[in-house]
Amino acid sequence: MAVVLTLMTIALPWVGALAVWLIGDARSRLQSALAVAFSAAAGLVSLALIPYATGGYEFSVFDAGEAFGRFTFAPDGLGVYLAVIATIIGCLAVVFSLDYMKGEHQLGRYYAFVLFFVGAMAGLVLASNLFLVFLFWEITALCSYALISFHNDDPKAVAGGIKALIITGLGGIGLLVGALLAYSYLGTFNISLFLQNAGQMPAGALATVAFGFLAAAAAKSAQFPFQTWLPDAMEAPTPVSALIHAATMVNAGVYLLARFYPAFAAVPAWRITVISIGVITALMAASMAVVSNDLKRVLAYSTVSQLGYMVYAIGAGGIFASQFHLLNHSAFKALLFLGAGAVIHATGTRDLRLMGGLGRAMPVTRAVFIIGSLALVGIPVLNGFWSKELVLEAGFLGGPLWAYLLAILTAGLTALYTYRCLYLVFYGPSHGKIPPHDAGYAMRAALYPLAIAALVTWLLAGPFSRMLAASLPFHEVDLLPTWEMAVEVLSAPQTFLALAVIALGLAAWRWRERLSPVANAFHGLAQAASNSYGFEWLNRQVVTLTQEAGEALRSTQTGQLNWNVVAIAGALVLVLAIVILGSVL
Amino acid sequence: MNFVNFTWMILLPLAGAPLIYLLGRIGILRWPGTLGPGLARWVCAAILLAAGVVFVQSALTFNQTSIQTFTLGAVNLRLDGLALLISGLALVLGFLVAIFSGPYLAGEDDQEKYYALLALLVGSISGLACAADLFNLWVWFEAMALSTYVLVAFYEARPESLEAGVKYLVQSAVGSALVVFAIAAVFAATGVLDLERIHTVARSSPLLLGAGALFMVGFGVKAALVPLHTWLPDAHSQAPSGISALLSGVVIEAGLIAMLRALGALMGVSLIWGPLLLVFGAANMLFGNLMALRQNQVKRLLAYSSLAHVGYMLLGLGVSMTFGLANGAEGAFFHLLNHGLMKALAFLSAGALLYALYIAHDEHRPLTVEDLAGAARRYPLPTFALSVAVLGLGGLPPLAGFMSKWQIFVAGFQTHDIRIYALVIFAALNSLLSLGYYAPIVNRMYRHKASPRVLEGDPLPAIMAIPLVLLALAVIVLGILPNLATWLTAPAAGSLLAVLGGGG
Repeated sequence: MAVVLTLMTIALPWVGALAVWLIGDARSRLQSALAVAFSAAAGLVSLALIPYATGGYEFSVFDAGEAFGRFTFAPDGLGVYLAVIATIIGCLAVVFSLDYMKGEHQLGRYYAFVLFFVGAMAGLVLASNLFLVFLFWEITALCSYALISFHNDDPKAVAGGIKALIITGLGGIGLLVGALLAYSYLGTFNISLFLQNAGQMPAGALATVAFGFLAAAAAKSAQFPFQTWLPDAMEAPTPVSALIHAATMVNAGVYLLARFYPAFAAVPAWRITVISIGVITALMAASMAVVSNDLKRVLAYSTVSQLGYMVYAIGAGGIFASQFHLLNHSAFKALLFLGAGAVIHATGTRDLRLMGGLGRAMPVTRAVFIIGSLALVGIPVLNGFWSKELVLEAGFLGGPLWAYLLAILTAGLTALYTYRCLYLVFYGPSHGKIPPHDAGYAMRAALYPLAIAALVTWLLAGPFSRMLAASLPFHEVDLLPTWEMAVEVLSAPQTFLALAVIALGLAAWRWRERLSPVANAFHGLAQAASNSYGFEWLNRQVVTLTQEAGEALRSTQTGQLNWNVVAIAGALVLVLAIVILGSVL
Repeated sequence: MNFVNFTWMILLPLAGAPLIYLLGRIGILRWPGTLGPGLARWVCAAILLAAGVVFVQSALTFNQTSIQTFTLGAVNLRLDGLALLISGLALVLGFLVAIFSGPYLAGEDDQEKYYALLALLVGSISGLACAADLFNLWVWFEAMALSTYVLVAFYEARPESLEAGVKYLVQSAVGSALVVFAIAAVFAATGVLDLERIHTVARSSPLLLGAGALFMVGFGVKAALVPLHTWLPDAHSQAPSGISALLSGVVIEAGLIAMLRALGALMGVSLIWGPLLLVFGAANMLFGNLMALRQNQVKRLLAYSSLAHVGYMLLGLGVSMTFGLANGAEGAFFHLLNHGLMKALAFLSAGALLYALYIAHDEHRPLTVEDLAGAARRYPLPTFALSVAVLGLGGLPPLAGFMSKWQIFVAGFQTHDIRIYALVIFAALNSLLSLGYYAPIVNRMYRHKASPRVLEGDPLPAIMAIPLVLLALAVIVLGILPNLATWLTAPAAGSLLAVLGGGG
């Protein structure tokens, strides 16, 4: 039964993608109905998989030969919960799109790629073969590119899509190298066998695999130094941003680190590198969110920052804390993105300076946005509070003090930018047009479940820890019933420190006029932040250099036959020289 | 038990070529209009189909341990795994191109010559693949080259076409001359021309070292090794699109195979051949991708990308020759097959769009990337086909190119040599770089705002869609189930490794 459910979780969205594409854009109502139906079915199937996620179970679909391995899948706790997130939020994003994308062209391509992505994401987390993981990894990159640049007529969207493709592809090379190296030493692509036998690899090879996987995870989850693609990916339609760039694809990097942590934890300097990357990203992204004027970019930087927290937790050994925060973050970040989508759809702009006072015209949207914001900031009793505190506690116990202090500072900045964003959109005087109505019915149908999720998913802590502990034989996950977790968080002194810093962050916005001299002192830093600390410049340099290299080579195509024949003669001389040298030496 | 010898696979197209020409000529003289060329086309397609049946039968009865051979006077042929792969690819692509070219060349003069030469090309490629000695190898190689010279310069009224043809002719002739010198040197040093016998008797000597270098450069012109490639962008972009597909898809690969056969015989002479292939591979990858990045003519872009893909094949083959790894050869041959299919699909889809946007209006200008804007609205099938081809060439799953590149990379890492690791990473970076020019094409085609050319374009004849659909299906299916091709690639790798195993 688990076999059928696992394969259906991956295959149903793919069949749906094919169906939606073949039906054609002319029959748009049938098309959207099919999209919703297939994504909902996938969600139900993945939920049905939960009781089977008891661990240690692996099955193989077929043997693709020596170079590709056996295509095996393992529906364990870590994989199944991420598959559930991917399919459920995928379904909600499709439902939201019924309103958001109404009237757009080529929706078949849109829904097909969204469904194709959902299936690929499920496949990525349920696969137990390194080649398959890389295959699904690259498929999600393809879907992400296709969806970011969905509006092909907009050059910013196309540029954003290609940038995401190239940068995540660059990280993907790390995954490629790691997988191949592991295969070449252990003779298998199987992940369980890898986790079991990783110690048998030569230390240098294992370290290369560890850092290669870290590079891939950092690129996919938009961590330092690969963070530049995610803000530009905001050119995607907002439901896509909610699904791919908040709740699922960017989680793939965190998943990769969590999955392979037992093998890499002992590699020298790996854990501290992970911690450093996580905490530096968290702080850097939070600072960029404070100065950004684009609603979606603020949320994008916020995602990067929260992913930094998750990476930080993994480095410190808090696997449960990081995954719990991933679960909660998916819910409240998708909620915030879809809420932002409702705002953008109604006002026609993403610029915060042209919004303001929208709370009066859009009370439902404001309410859900407030819930999402409270969760993001980490106010009890929302889900974000519990998991963020667990992350900070894990970091305090398992990582260096400087990292903990930076993480706490980030929590304060998170409060600051979130309150700023909320205020600039929904409160204060209105700087732009007043929307005629609130979010539509389809939008609300997607927003309400997520808002409820942001309030209650933390209650799943107990069952979640049980599922992880039972099904991950190589990881050390302690059982943590929900009540115990609550008591632990509420009684830890770190919690109160964090809450105090958060209160400071909120106060900083509230008293921003009085604090403006302080703000001016940071002006230089704010400039650097809005210029993304020079990373955009670096990106542009790489692109320009490559283009110039290509341009320079054009002179070799002289168009003159004589020169072409000279090249042949020259090559002959060169080859003869090498051959003679080779035989002499 | 064979009821028909594999040699019919070669003989049918060869003997068929003059027949096609005659029937076509008679048809044109007796019946005006499209009937004459149509007769040539369908006879050509039928002959290639018949040869295909022979191929299928030969493939089904293929046995790695008892290779079929055929000798008649100076003609010496062996059907080993490699021969099976190349002949099969040539027949499939030749057949699809014959069907495609009907509407594409409608109204042109000399169509009966085109189809006759097409059959000759396919037959000589099969012959080259089956060649068992150096003399045969050279003769079939020349036959193939001769048929392509004329096909490249098919539009003889246009100066650019003639220029491309002349450059190709001269450079290819230089390469052939070098090959003849090499054969002479081998004969002088060993006294035999049979490939297997050379392999057993050849030992290191200056003459044979020189012969190896001459083979590498001589065949390398045809195989488009950098810096011997300069004829390629012009030839592949000026030829009719079906011929471009065959050139990029099989002809340069045939040159590569000829080089492998010749160097394989000389494996006992030096161990440098493998590393030299790796060096050329690196040069091809970088050069091909960087040059393609700056192109805005679609067919020239695809031509440069062929350089890069030859680079990936050289990487796999070089690894195999240097370290004796099966995955290297198998991956390289799998990539040869996939590249043939994907590049043919790319050229045929671009050709379909070129037909609809220019040729149908009797204009002969190159198809540029700007012309493709919004093509998806009016030409969904060629657009989809071109997207599948191009993303597959870029190595994105679930398409065929991803699978073959992965297999080559597996071999690279099995060497446990850090220099090869670096080369594999270099190849992966190049693959990523290629997306920088492939992805914008796809984006442009799916725009909402169409280019003026697209809006004024003619509809596409239905028969041109058949090759596109078949090739696109093949690319997708091989991307999902890579082991469907193992029956072709494993024996091919086996035949290469058999030569390497006994050498050096």
